[in-house]
Parts: sequence; C-alpha cells; structure tokens
Amino acid sequence: MPAREKIGNQSQAEPEGALRVQRDHEAIARLADDLLPALIAKLASSGLGEIEVHQGGWKARLRMPAPTGESRRGAGRALDTTSGLGHIGRGIAGRSRSEERDPRPCPEEEAPCDPNPTVARSPAVGVYHPRGDLAVGMRVRAGDRIGYVNVLGVNQDVVSPVDGIIGSSLAEAGEAVEYAQELVRIELPERSAEADGGRPGRAPAGVVGQA
Amino acid sequence: MFTKVLIANRGEIALRILRACRMLGIGAVVAYSEADREGLAAQLADEAICIGPADAKHSYLSAPAVISAAVVTGCDAIHPGYGFLSEDDGFADVVRAHDLAFIGPSAEVLERFASKEATRRLLAAHGLMTIPGSTMLRDEAHALEEAERIGYPVLIKPSAGGGGKGMRLVRTARELDSAFKVSRSEAKAGFGDDSLYLEKYLDDNRHVEIQVAVDRFGNAIHLGDRDCSVQRRHQKLIEETPSPALTDAARRDLAERALKAVASAGYENLGTLEFLVDGKGEAYFIEINCRIQVEHPITELCTGIDLVALQIKIAAGEPLGIAQADVVSRGHAIEFRILAEDPAKDFRPQAGMVGAYLTPGGPGVRMDSHLYPGYEIPSYYDSLLGKLCVWAPDRALAIARGDAALRELLVDGVTTNIELHRAILANQVFIDGKVTTSLLDRVGSAPFVAAGNR
Repeated sequence: MPAREKIGNQSQAEPEGALRVQRDHEAIARLADDLLPALIAKLASSGLGEIEVHQGGWKARLRMPAPTGESRRGAGRALDTTSGLGHIGRGIAGRSRSEERDPRPCPEEEAPCDPNPTVARSPAVGVYHPRGDLAVGMRVRAGDRIGYVNVLGVNQDVVSPVDGIIGSSLAEAGEAVEYAQELVRIELPERSAEADGGRPGRAPAGVVGQA
Repeated sequence: MFTKVLIANRGEIALRILRACRMLGIGAVVAYSEADREGLAAQLADEAICIGPADAKHSYLSAPAVISAAVVTGCDAIHPGYGFLSEDDGFADVVRAHDLAFIGPSAEVLERFASKEATRRLLAAHGLMTIPGSTMLRDEAHALEEAERIGYPVLIKPSAGGGGKGMRLVRTARELDSAFKVSRSEAKAGFGDDSLYLEKYLDDNRHVEIQVAVDRFGNAIHLGDRDCSVQRRHQKLIEETPSPALTDAARRDLAERALKAVASAGYENLGTLEFLVDGKGEAYFIEINCRIQVEHPITELCTGIDLVALQIKIAAGEPLGIAQADVVSRGHAIEFRILAEDPAKDFRPQAGMVGAYLTPGGPGVRMDSHLYPGYEIPSYYDSLLGKLCVWAPDRALAIARGDAALRELLVDGVTTNIELHRAILANQVFIDGKVTTSLLDRVGSAPFVAAGNR
C-alpha cells in the first residue's frame, strides 16, 4: 500500500520515524487483537449501521455492509399497493418493487447508493448512451467508462463500479433514465468463471445476466 | 394550459401541487431525491423520477437535474413549490431557455425583487412605509456604522432567502461583530448569497402579510391578509386570517396600498407582501415572497379560491378570471404547522418512523400532510410534517375547532409540537389576539405547555 511504503522509506532515513512506525504497528496490532473483535460484536448486536471509536491518536470506524434485496426494505410497506405506477425508473427499466433499493440514503451521497455493487448505475437524470463497443462478455475494470448519460447536452460518464465482465443491459440506448437507475449488470470474474465451467474471462451472455 | 408539470419539491407541498394539477386535468411528474423515494407525493404520482441523492444541493437545488427531469419526461412546465429553487431568477431564466414554463414570476420579475434591500427601496418609492434600515453591508465596520445610525436593537437580515435563516437580533455593538459573521456564513450556506443588511428591530410587533395575484395583462387582486405573529426564532408556527391586529378599515387600507404598490412596481404571479405592524397600528413593509406560501391554505379556506391552481393559470398566460369584487373572505381560519420538533428540548428536530397516524375531521378541518403510517421521516430536510388548518364562521369557534382537531391528531413514533399548539390556543394572550412575534422567544415554550397542562 502506498501509505505504508512511504512510512517505510522515512523510517530508513530517520530513527525517530522508525520508532513512530513501530509504535504505530503496535497500536494497529492492539486494535486488531483487542478492540476490533469487540467492536464487531457490538456492531452486530446493536443494530447500528456504523460505529466509530477514538483511542489515543487512532480512530476506528466500522460500517455494516449494505444488505441487499428485501432485507433492506423497510419504510413504505404500507403503500406497497402502489406498485406498477409509472415511475420512470421502475416503468422504463422494468424494475419491480421487490428489486428496488432501500429508500434510506447512503452516508456517502455523492455517488448513487448501491446495495448491489455489480450494477452500473446512472449518475444523473438524462438520456443514456452505452459506449459504442460495449458488448456482453467484455472485461472491464472498476472506473472504466461504459457509457454516458446526456444531461442537457453535457455527458456524464457511466462507469463500472467493479472489475468484472459486462453482463446484460438494463436500459436501451437513447432511453430516458433517472438518477441511480440500473443500466448494466457487471459480472464478477470468479462468479462468471464458475458459470462458464471454469473458463476465466468470457462468460455466456445468458448466464452472466442472471446473477 | 400546460399538458404536464414537473413538481420540483417534496413533502406536503409536492402533494398539494399534485392535487392542483389533477384538479386542472394536467399531467404531473413528481421529482424526488433518493431520501424521498417512499414519499407520499412520489407514491401517489402517475409518474415520478429520481433526480439525485438526499443532499438537496444535488437534487432539489440542482437546476440541471430538475430541468433534465422535466425534459426527459416531456413536461412543459416546472412548479418549484416553496424554498429550494422557487425564487431563483437564474433558474427561472434557464427553465425558459429550455422552452419550459416556470410556475412563478418571470425571471425578470424575480430579479427585480431578488434583493430584499432593493425591494424595500423599490416599494417605498411606490408608496409603502418601510422600517429604517441600511443599504447592503460591505463588512463588519460598515455594519457597525449603520447600526449606530439606525439605533439598536437591529436585525441582521440576509438579502436572499427566507424562513428566518441567517437572521440575528443584535442589541449591542459587541454582539454585532460575532452575529455578523454567523449570519454571513448561514446566508452563504443557505442561499448561496452572503449579502446582508440591517433593519431596525421593533419590539412587540405583529407580522401581517397580504396575499396578491397579478396576471400578465395587468389584472391584480388581493386575497386579504394573514397574521403570522406566533413565531419561534423568526419561523412561523401558527397563522390565521383575518389578522386580529387590524380593524376592518385598516385591513382594507393595507391590502389596497400593498396591491397598488406591487402592481405598479411590475410584479406578476402570486406573491405575498410581509409587514410588521407596531403597537400604534402602523404597517411597515419588510419583504415580498415571490412564491406560494406555506400558509396559503387559510386564505383558500376563507376565500374558496385555489391559490395553487390560480398560480398555474397565471404562469400559463391565462387571465386571472376573477375581479376584486369576486373575492369575498368569509369567517376565520387558523393553520398549525405540525413539526417534528421537541419543544421540551429546545425544539430539536426529530427523525424516525411514523407509527400510528390519524388525521382529524369534522366541519372546517383540513390536513395537508405527506405522512402515512410507516413513513420514515428523513433527516435531510426541514421538520414540517404537515399543516392542520381549521375554518369557522368566527375566531372563537375557529379556536375551538382547532383545539378539537389538535386533540384528534395522532402522529406516533416521533415527537411533535402538537401539545405546544394546544397550549398556545389555551393561552389568554392568544385568545385575546395579542401575540407578538417575540413572545415565544422571550418566554420560551415551557410556560405555555405548563399552563396548558393545568
């Protein structure tokens, strides 16, 4: 990790720095052995989404992974009878309410909240255009541009959230999309390899999209 | 008339606009943030579209997101509601540039009335009395100089925005220095504009406002007054119409002067002129709100005129269709803002999930709210849960109906200010119609609640 390498380089040049690094490593070991297991147990039993502890000059923050599907759906059950209304993201992309994401916003609000990180989502309201050469089975890295959403003439990139393989498209080229709408499924390499009988790399389109 | 309107707001006002559109036979699309995915307006809309994350900067306050949503859903107009982009002349201009209509005053009108300080001067030139105040403040030194000239106490006020944000009461030069910095940063954060000015603070004043409507053909009407003197930290809690602070003659005179001034200054669409009325009954103009007001339902209850529908019609280029003689205000109406705030804990905003929810009924009772059982109140926005409004032939009966309705109203799962409203209604100062804007801040909520519990 770059940060550790930097500390290591400094330690060769400065004895004081070496001592500091040693103290840091001891602190990390204490955190890992004593504090973290206790915090994990506390977090699991508390029902909290996040817990942060300050100790000396150190800070540890634990956040529960975002659960998926039904388990994250809470508020609004009373109104579930409204399913099938013409909400653009639901109607156009064909999402059913059981596939919807949790209404609760993520703590990080700059990016679409994503309980399912293997789907590329729309960064804005606009008109979706996939990259010209995008094809099922294509390998992508996290952050690779796989298309764009045109917002009043300004293109905003749609990027892959993970390293993986392009799966099925969930929106058509030229389609109006809403913020955070699911656009393209991204299959994780190991999962697609299993689905492909162990062959790494390319996976059959029909299987990739089913994960 | 429009064919489809994008509603770029949330909560009760999004629902109110949706209902007005349906009544007019116009299609409507509700634009919502991720935090409002389960909001009632988004749920009840024929069409809804997510425009961004919970942070309003990237959703309800994002002009590209809102306009793009209107374009891709095939809307021909945008209703901004109140707050957010509702009085942003730049936004109104960009909306028009995209061949969409802005439901509100035109960009030029909004720009003319954008600065509160400049509006005071403009309407003073058109015959309204204003409170002594400063020009726009350059810095702390200028503020000190102007405050000395006007005389303490003074109010520091942001030139943009509303809702009491950035306003500070300052009684000494020493207080001014720190309050100036706080107001400036609050104004910048709240409205993106840190321009401030000073206004002489009148102790024991009443807040009275006049509702006007002006179409593009120069037809202008007023729809009476509203009294919003029950406030906490410059935020209205209870509003009523007609104001108990004015005689009928004074009421008519103020409404006519306000309408004449605003129409001759070139205003268009729905608007509200706010005044402070002192102990002698003198009304000083303080500011104009170029949008639909939170408290508009009480005017609707007394006049029978749908103000949101009227606003939409004016924006669509239709004539008012009603003359001043057609506007008849009957009876008395009171609005209670139901807030997710804990009066016992310094009105701290509350979040959480609504459990049981029961709205009151009976003659003259109206509840505008986006709540439902199981609704998770997001912590990102203001604490308004709804508006309970009552109407009756006279004020005494309106107070009685208000109390009965507040008793029936049940919002479980979150602390609200319902009991505080009941306590205020039972207070002799309110019953006598003598509440002033500073009363609640001066005595706090505890004496009201304690007296109400006796």
